[in-house]
Amino acid sequence: MFQRLKKALGIAAISLVAQPLLAAEPIKFGLCYDLTKIYSFAAPQLVQAERDLAALVNSQGGIEGHPVEFLLQEHGNEPQRGIECYERMKAAGVVAVDTLSSPVSRALLPRVMKDGIVMTQPMVGRSDTVDGEVFKWVFPIGATYWGMAANAVQYAKSQSGGSLKGKRIAFLYIDYPFGQEPIGILKELQKREGFDLGLYPYPLPGNDQSSAWSQMRRAQPDYIIHWGTAVMQVVAAKEAQRNGISMSKIITTPWINDVDIANIGPDLAKGLKKVAVFASGSYVPLLRKIKTEVYGKDKGNGDIKWLGDKYYNLGLASFAPVFEGARLALKNYGAPLTADKLRKGMESIRDFNADGLMAPLVFSEKDHGGGGKTRIEMYDGKAWVPQTDWAAAYDDLVWQAVKASSAEYLKTNK
Amino acid sequence: MFYLQSGISHSSYGVERQLFPIPFERWQVGILLALAIAAPLLMSPIYLKSYMLPWLIWTAAALGLNLIIGWAGQFHFGYAAVMAIGAYSATHAARHGVPFEIALVLAGATATVIGSVFAITALRVRGLYLALSTLALQFVIDWVIHKVPAISGGTQATLQAPSVHLLGIPIASDASKYYTALVWCVLVTMFMLNLRRTGLGRALVAVREKDFAAAVIGVNSFYYKLVAFATSSFIGGVSGAILVFTFYGAVTPEQFTTNVSIQALAMVIIGGLGSVIGSYLGVAFILLLPGLIATAIYALATKLDLNVGIELLAHIPGLLYGILIIAFLLFEPSGLAKIYTNFRNYLMFWPFGYSRK
Repeated sequence: MFQRLKKALGIAAISLVAQPLLAAEPIKFGLCYDLTKIYSFAAPQLVQAERDLAALVNSQGGIEGHPVEFLLQEHGNEPQRGIECYERMKAAGVVAVDTLSSPVSRALLPRVMKDGIVMTQPMVGRSDTVDGEVFKWVFPIGATYWGMAANAVQYAKSQSGGSLKGKRIAFLYIDYPFGQEPIGILKELQKREGFDLGLYPYPLPGNDQSSAWSQMRRAQPDYIIHWGTAVMQVVAAKEAQRNGISMSKIITTPWINDVDIANIGPDLAKGLKKVAVFASGSYVPLLRKIKTEVYGKDKGNGDIKWLGDKYYNLGLASFAPVFEGARLALKNYGAPLTADKLRKGMESIRDFNADGLMAPLVFSEKDHGGGGKTRIEMYDGKAWVPQTDWAAAYDDLVWQAVKASSAEYLKTNK
Repeated sequence: MFYLQSGISHSSYGVERQLFPIPFERWQVGILLALAIAAPLLMSPIYLKSYMLPWLIWTAAALGLNLIIGWAGQFHFGYAAVMAIGAYSATHAARHGVPFEIALVLAGATATVIGSVFAITALRVRGLYLALSTLALQFVIDWVIHKVPAISGGTQATLQAPSVHLLGIPIASDASKYYTALVWCVLVTMFMLNLRRTGLGRALVAVREKDFAAAVIGVNSFYYKLVAFATSSFIGGVSGAILVFTFYGAVTPEQFTTNVSIQALAMVIIGGLGSVIGSYLGVAFILLLPGLIATAIYALATKLDLNVGIELLAHIPGLLYGILIIAFLLFEPSGLAKIYTNFRNYLMFWPFGYSRK
């Protein structure tokens, strides 16, 4: 009896010790997310997507034989707790962190630049970080807000028959750094294209937009570019209806998701356009793979209904390029993967589209954004339908703004 | 037992008035100070950088706020704005090549000037009305920072703090940042401990208890309220600057929003009004506990292999934290400092508790 027990305990002990030895050292990525405050509308789906992506990669043998692992900690959108999270992640040996929060990514920037850890910031944080020569460790995957605004204007131009002379474009935005960001580039575009630009701010938290909309009713703009998230989208739709402004005039940010559409009402949302950084919906090959390989084998990390949701896809889009960068790094520079190798790996990514999820990304030492290509998608009452091809318009203007801003950063951080 | 008072005989006024008359407490303070000085050697960098450092800076700030709420009895809902004024002044000054020592003083001075100018108008009202008008300070400063790109630093609304030297020593390593904060916190603590022994402190307490009565005994309540606002603004301004230069590394508007003002207020109230040690405890409670609880809950869930959704897991610490706040305020409305005092009094008389009146 005792002998048997001893044996069993021995085996258990050996298997406990041996388990980590069998598998190769996992590559760790840190997620410092806001799961309880203002980003809680998106963060859970992002985590689900990222863990699903990791499960998919691990089920296929990992990245060049190395399993991947996500470490998650909540920071409640507070810079102080974000810094604490980052320090923990750093101590745990992550090669890259993601914050999904502009305040936190801004707070981490000085540390990341000093410590040399890759920070991804898809759709949050400073736009000028696409300048890889200055922001060596930051990868704002996808287009910047400046690029998105420029692409929206380009779409308006193509819709107006190639000229915007005499057209009225209204910029409706939340009066907060996030909403104010595109103003500079829109003013530059106004000079170049000769359209009338009207600025219509509304105050935080965005539930009251009535004065902006009644002003727009008087101005009767041809296009409305709207910079807002979550509830602001819903309020904007209601105001548009109340003021008799057609939804098809509105071009909004990529932050609008299925929940917002449901709150607006699919019928009312018909005709609404958005700038898309990655494909929506679950028809994308990568998502089909996740459906069969991960959820089909009961290894999913959440409710299957979220597959294809805007934020779910954003989660995939945030880390698919990082995994590709890690793969290239391991292939070219060998194990173990360090943050420096990962950065070089990501800079060598060419034409990577994550199985049809994104525009073909081309990174380089100079461009950490991957080319800034977006497309315009329209909601047809059921799904988002692409209206244009992936393209980056007014690249010169966008980069001019990027360089001006990053030069300012460089001046104080010699 | 520990706090033995036998054998302490006051043979001069100096001895009677010293800060810590009980030998055991002198030892306590000495050991704590020695530990604080040795902390960079004793603690792992994570705890030094993301727990000790913000704790010290925020304690200095909370002491400044405690001066105005706990000592002078005036509500202040815009303390984060005062800190923001200091932070932005120091950052702009340092970016224009002003030495850090002068930039710090400048931060305090700007905060004092703006804080006092505002106080002159705000002090015409009292109680809840004063609370609301100080809240207005918060919103005015927030608005100005957002609306004036020259202050906020343009579209990105982020100003990087340049690398600086303090008294010839570069403030770059973790230890140098920590010591900067430690020195500031010790200075403010010394000031606050001494305040209760000065005429200023007694005048403030008189104003707090009843400003009419204070006026009757010859204390100009408006003048002392103004002094309280000015002093606490100075402390807040310098603390804001130190927070940016040693902890954040960049100044953004989100670091000093209304939320932060309310948090600062909570630090003082939960810690204990008018208590120095209360400010230390209150800051630890409000600033550090949420992170620690979250880490503990997460570790527990991983250890027990609980299959809990990440959203629920993220909200449990918030729930616990809320319960803790309510519990503390239910059982000890006078704050954490009162719990400490009770404990100290108990030990002071132990084992002869019956001799306590």
